[in-house]
Amino acid sequence: MKFSKRFKSILPVIGLAALYGLIMLLKSMGIANNYHIQILMFAGVNIMMTLSLNVVNGFTGQFSIGHAGFMSLGAYGSAIITTLILKPSVIPASMEIPVFLLSLLVGGLVAAMVGYLIGLPTLKLKGDYLAIVTLAFGEIVRAGLRLIEPIGAARGMIGVPNYANLAWIFLFVALTLFFVRNIIYSRFGRAWIAIRDNEIAAEAMGIDSTRYKIISFTFSAFIAGVAGGLYAHVVSFIQPDTFSFVKSSDLLVFLYAGGSGSLTGSIVGALLLTSLPEALRFLASWRLVIYALVLVIVMLYSPKGITGGYELPFLRITRKDIYENRGKKISETPLQETKEGDV
Amino acid sequence: MATILSVKNLTIKFGGLVAVEDFSVDVQEGELLAIIGPNGAGKTTVFNMLTGIYKPTSGSIEMDGKNLVGMRPHQFAAHGLARTFQNIRLFHNASVVDNIKMAYTLHSSEKFFPALMRTESVVEQEWELDMEVMRLLKIFNLDQQADLLSKNLPYGPQRKLEIVRAMMLKPKILLLDEPVAGMNVAEIDEIASLIAQIREKFKMTIILIEHHMNFVMPIADRIKVLDFGKTIAEGNPGDIQKNPKVIEAYLGGGYHAIA
Repeated sequence: MKFSKRFKSILPVIGLAALYGLIMLLKSMGIANNYHIQILMFAGVNIMMTLSLNVVNGFTGQFSIGHAGFMSLGAYGSAIITTLILKPSVIPASMEIPVFLLSLLVGGLVAAMVGYLIGLPTLKLKGDYLAIVTLAFGEIVRAGLRLIEPIGAARGMIGVPNYANLAWIFLFVALTLFFVRNIIYSRFGRAWIAIRDNEIAAEAMGIDSTRYKIISFTFSAFIAGVAGGLYAHVVSFIQPDTFSFVKSSDLLVFLYAGGSGSLTGSIVGALLLTSLPEALRFLASWRLVIYALVLVIVMLYSPKGITGGYELPFLRITRKDIYENRGKKISETPLQETKEGDV
Repeated sequence: MATILSVKNLTIKFGGLVAVEDFSVDVQEGELLAIIGPNGAGKTTVFNMLTGIYKPTSGSIEMDGKNLVGMRPHQFAAHGLARTFQNIRLFHNASVVDNIKMAYTLHSSEKFFPALMRTESVVEQEWELDMEVMRLLKIFNLDQQADLLSKNLPYGPQRKLEIVRAMMLKPKILLLDEPVAGMNVAEIDEIASLIAQIREKFKMTIILIEHHMNFVMPIADRIKVLDFGKTIAEGNPGDIQKNPKVIEAYLGGGYHAIA
């Protein structure tokens, strides 16, 4: 019993390690090449971005269409650390990993701080109005970054050390999934879902909607910031225009095609739709037509997204899990009103 | 009996329309106060003011010596005013259990970072919360539907769930807005016994709005009658039934000619 419980909780970790091993094996056999690995890394960053967007759009029911703005803040924030301040030439090689991690943290914190400041005045807005503000925010960030000369202005930043490899991406995607899952199945996630489903009722049930929306926004911005930091260290070159409205709308497509309000949906959507245009390269110019057509078909036949609200077992926490964690069976305990003392 | 809610001269105007005028009431601990009146009399508007959804133009709502006017709805809830809605407002894509857990947000002491890591103490709090919710559901006979999405419940149980959810707030006063609207006779009886149970088990003070006189008369301690935003009568059910103003408001002025 105890062993199987342990085993169950580390199963996803084993699965992930096995997947990583498999990819590395394919690479050593020459089946997968660096190009494939790079697409996987982009997909990983996109999964994190989609999860971040899912927190705000899918679970809290707000509508952000400027998420690329948070990503760019994270990308620049962390790139400034590793490229300008603690650049590889001034630190010993052994410090590269701590500096990299520090830069990701800084990227996340910068994005989170801005997310908080933006959220404070704007989250009283609803629906379309909030969407317009987030859209404007994304554009302000992009336009602002184009003006700052020390970070390359519109030319962008070159020579960002490529610290991020597939293993790091795997690790951060897994951590993001772990954290987002945990928070969704806590007081915070429940408050978000309550606000999403009926804001008036949520308020009447004592949920401070502004406060929980700000927490959601800040948390989401942090994830986006870290994802942006990873992205910068994958591509080595970032420029403001990478994080335009097109990027934000791509993320929206990943989210809704995969299935909003589902973590599995974010993974499937981002993974599939990042690799699909690459897989379709043999179609040359037709590939974008086919890509768009696939989207139309997906949305027509599965309006709730590809996953249709399905959640992988290790990405949800059921009531049964809560009891099993305590070494209890769900059926035996809570229903008997009189046996309170026993449970 | 002590006064737990003191409402004085509550007035609200929408543009030129005075929707509710000079509504005053002292609610006693443990009583069941019913607010009745024809459609459009301003009953729900009174509720919306008592729960912070509308801000009254003038007047005061005092609880524990504090004036709540101007606070946000969640603060009204935190002060012990929990309500249900005339048109059901459940969290439709959440399960029955989660709907109730959501009303516990206010009381929960889970912190963000421990929740992020899902520490032992968070797991324990989640477990205790789940048991508490299940006990409550058991009392109200909804435990068999615990894991259903609330939108998949039939209409009657949805209304019931809304009441149970409000109870989870551990309120001082429960405000029920037309709890039996659209229900059949059997369901009405069930809600009546549920309300009786809430009063008996939890010593709950209740304010309710209702149209069904057969439902209100036996359970109300006191009735206030609204018509066109004004209080036209107040008293115990027996007196209200005989009050000519009330009869006129409900049946129109011409009934004398028939009777």
